[in-house]
Amino acid sequence: MIVALLAIVVGATILSGLEMIYYDVPRQMSAQFRSYGANIIFTPSGDGDINNDDIEKGVEVFGSDELEGCTAYRYENTKIHNMPQALAAIDFESVLKTSPYWHIGGDMPSGNGMALVGAKAAEGLGLKSGDTFVCVNSFEVDESVDTSDIPSYEMYTDPESGETYCDHELELVCSGILETGGSEEDYIYVTYDDITALTMNERGCDIVEVSAAGMQEDLKAAAEKINSMGLTISAKLVKRVTASESTVLTKLQSLVFIVTFVVLVLTMICVATTMTAVITERRKEIGLRKALGALNSSIIGEFMSEGLVLGGIGGILGSVLGYYFAQFVSMNVFSSSITFRPLLIPITIAASVMVTGLACLIPIKSAVDVDPALVLKGE
Amino acid sequence: MFFRMVRGTFARQWKKMLMIAVTVALGASIATAMLNVMLDVGDKINEELKTYGSNITVIPQSEAVISKLYDVENNDVQTEYIEEEKIGELMTIFWANNITDFAPVNDTLAELNGTEVTLVGSWFDHHLEFKKKGTVYQRDTGLTNLRSWWDITEGEMLDEQKHSENCAMVGVQLAAEQNIRSGDTVTVECSGRTKQLEVVGIFESGDDEDNYIYTTLDCEQELSGCGDMMKKVEVSAITSPDDELAVKAARNPSLLSGDEYDLWYCTAYVSSICFQIQEAIPEASASAVRQIADSEGKILEKTQLLMTLITVLSLFGATLGISNLVTSGVMERSQELALLKAVGATNGEVTLLVLTEIMITSVIGAAAGYFLGFAFAQVIGQSVFSSAVEMSGMAAFIVIVLIIAVTLVGSIPAIRMLMRLRPSEVLHGGH
Repeated sequence: MIVALLAIVVGATILSGLEMIYYDVPRQMSAQFRSYGANIIFTPSGDGDINNDDIEKGVEVFGSDELEGCTAYRYENTKIHNMPQALAAIDFESVLKTSPYWHIGGDMPSGNGMALVGAKAAEGLGLKSGDTFVCVNSFEVDESVDTSDIPSYEMYTDPESGETYCDHELELVCSGILETGGSEEDYIYVTYDDITALTMNERGCDIVEVSAAGMQEDLKAAAEKINSMGLTISAKLVKRVTASESTVLTKLQSLVFIVTFVVLVLTMICVATTMTAVITERRKEIGLRKALGALNSSIIGEFMSEGLVLGGIGGILGSVLGYYFAQFVSMNVFSSSITFRPLLIPITIAASVMVTGLACLIPIKSAVDVDPALVLKGE
Repeated sequence: MFFRMVRGTFARQWKKMLMIAVTVALGASIATAMLNVMLDVGDKINEELKTYGSNITVIPQSEAVISKLYDVENNDVQTEYIEEEKIGELMTIFWANNITDFAPVNDTLAELNGTEVTLVGSWFDHHLEFKKKGTVYQRDTGLTNLRSWWDITEGEMLDEQKHSENCAMVGVQLAAEQNIRSGDTVTVECSGRTKQLEVVGIFESGDDEDNYIYTTLDCEQELSGCGDMMKKVEVSAITSPDDELAVKAARNPSLLSGDEYDLWYCTAYVSSICFQIQEAIPEASASAVRQIADSEGKILEKTQLLMTLITVLSLFGATLGISNLVTSGVMERSQELALLKAVGATNGEVTLLVLTEIMITSVIGAAAGYFLGFAFAQVIGQSVFSSAVEMSGMAAFIVIVLIIAVTLVGSIPAIRMLMRLRPSEVLHGGH
């Protein structure tokens, strides 16, 4: 009996463990896929910039579990050593959430006055981490500009047109070199305060990268919802990331499904053979009962209910053990706990009872059919 | 005498033996299927991840510096190129088989109806032949696979065999702005040269490329006048996740010790593939696209770990199933074995007899189970990834060792019981 119970418990454990993993894989894997970085971008919906308040309203569409991070970029063209150089303002604290693949040689800038220089830009400018460089922003000085903060040596008047220009300077320390293998390497990243000081102009950002967990359809729905809110942002899916993610996730889930199914079928057969062995062993007992006048139906009923009880106990033990197994897998693979789905427990118990019942049916039937005289004689 | 007894057991108790063999076969087939799938899942998922596009870009050695020195706005001043005929070298490197696709990406600023647009010349499904040292390497490669996320919203993907070289595909946003439909003919102008291009399809990419025009490489080269040259090559390669060695090598391969260098060179790290590309094409500089390369590594690692743990669970299940049955199979025969002892057989002889019988049964069962399991693995491979799962020698080895161990371990409690068996009690029926 213990042998049969053990077989049922193992079968039920495998079933419930794999069931839980199957349902949890998309959620867990989706979080892993966030290492590809942003899968949604916000661009200005009309001409002009994105209003910073709208970003928060936009990302509120995603739940706090789903939202991995969001980074706003503001681009400006400046000059370094009289060469054009694009600058981008970002929040250094949140950028690694949307771009976890950034490799930084040196340190991440920790405050104003520091810059993260893209590898290609650094090569072109001959910068290493720790070096100091000066950024220059040229603009026309008109009535809207408050000239009180600008040192006089930065301003000059064009003798031909009579207009005043300003070459506003900002000294920055290169704290780290950014390596991505992509176009990000062409830019120099600074803080929002620095770029406002350099351009003497406070405005919204040009683009927002959002990284959110979810399947393509959910993200599409979220993007549509954001677009219908009438904000200054228009949300777009980064198709290359979302489309591929869906493909891989679907494949992975169907892999776990098929594996679960194959393992399940084989474990069921294992349980069935064990039950057969256990009942065959008790043929003598059945023969004796028949000889004493027991009806076939009462023998079948007794053995079946014994089998079903066994299946039930095995199923309960199995679902508990299966939960711990799934939890173990989840902690080890994804370092996060598995979602407990109560519905899976009755399913596991029902499956286990059913399989045990089926497995008992055949050996009991063949055992009942024997002639008691022959069995008891030992043939 | 010994073999006659063994034969006798199989002849008389074949039903019981068959049941043990069937259980062993089932256990072995779970083990085989899971192990084969587990060992191959890395490659399979890696192939799926190729839908993210290229993970290595190859650019001319000093292109980055040169374009900075002149004017970043104008691509025409690019003075360094990779020669088109050199690109075949990619098929000759050590990890050439891991390179799934590559395509040149020549971008030029061109004028389309008075507005400035980016025109990209590339291969779509190009047939490339390369001769080196008497060997002919050939391969079909191009953007068709490197841009698998493109949605063709109108028309079809450019087909180099079917369409002429003066065909183009237009990004969906550009098409909407300029009101271009597939089948239209557009005129593009670039540094004084003009060409009529037939639009065969409109694509949606979901990024900047929605504003681009894609055309054949030959067409772009004619328009920009750069001859048989390439500005950038995108390469998609199947790589192994980075580990400590790869990180160390990425800093400077020459700092590695001899053994480390060999190991690094012969492992498909993204850095060693880049290094080999640079060796093959000295005037080029290959670098990893971190976004793709890093994430691939992470996802592969997680998937493999997940499959490993699931495999361990299934192996555990299979093991228990087998040892259960082996134990009960031996115990059932207590009467017969007690009789043997009663007529003078020693414990050793009885144990040997039982073990031999069980082992023969197990081996037959395991052999059948191995092939059954392999069939299961193929079912999984075909239905999930639509490709066959490779047969792994390691899986066969693990299964054999596992089955022998399980059978032995499963027999131990039964044999211990046999040792303690007192013939008189058993034969009397008191047991």
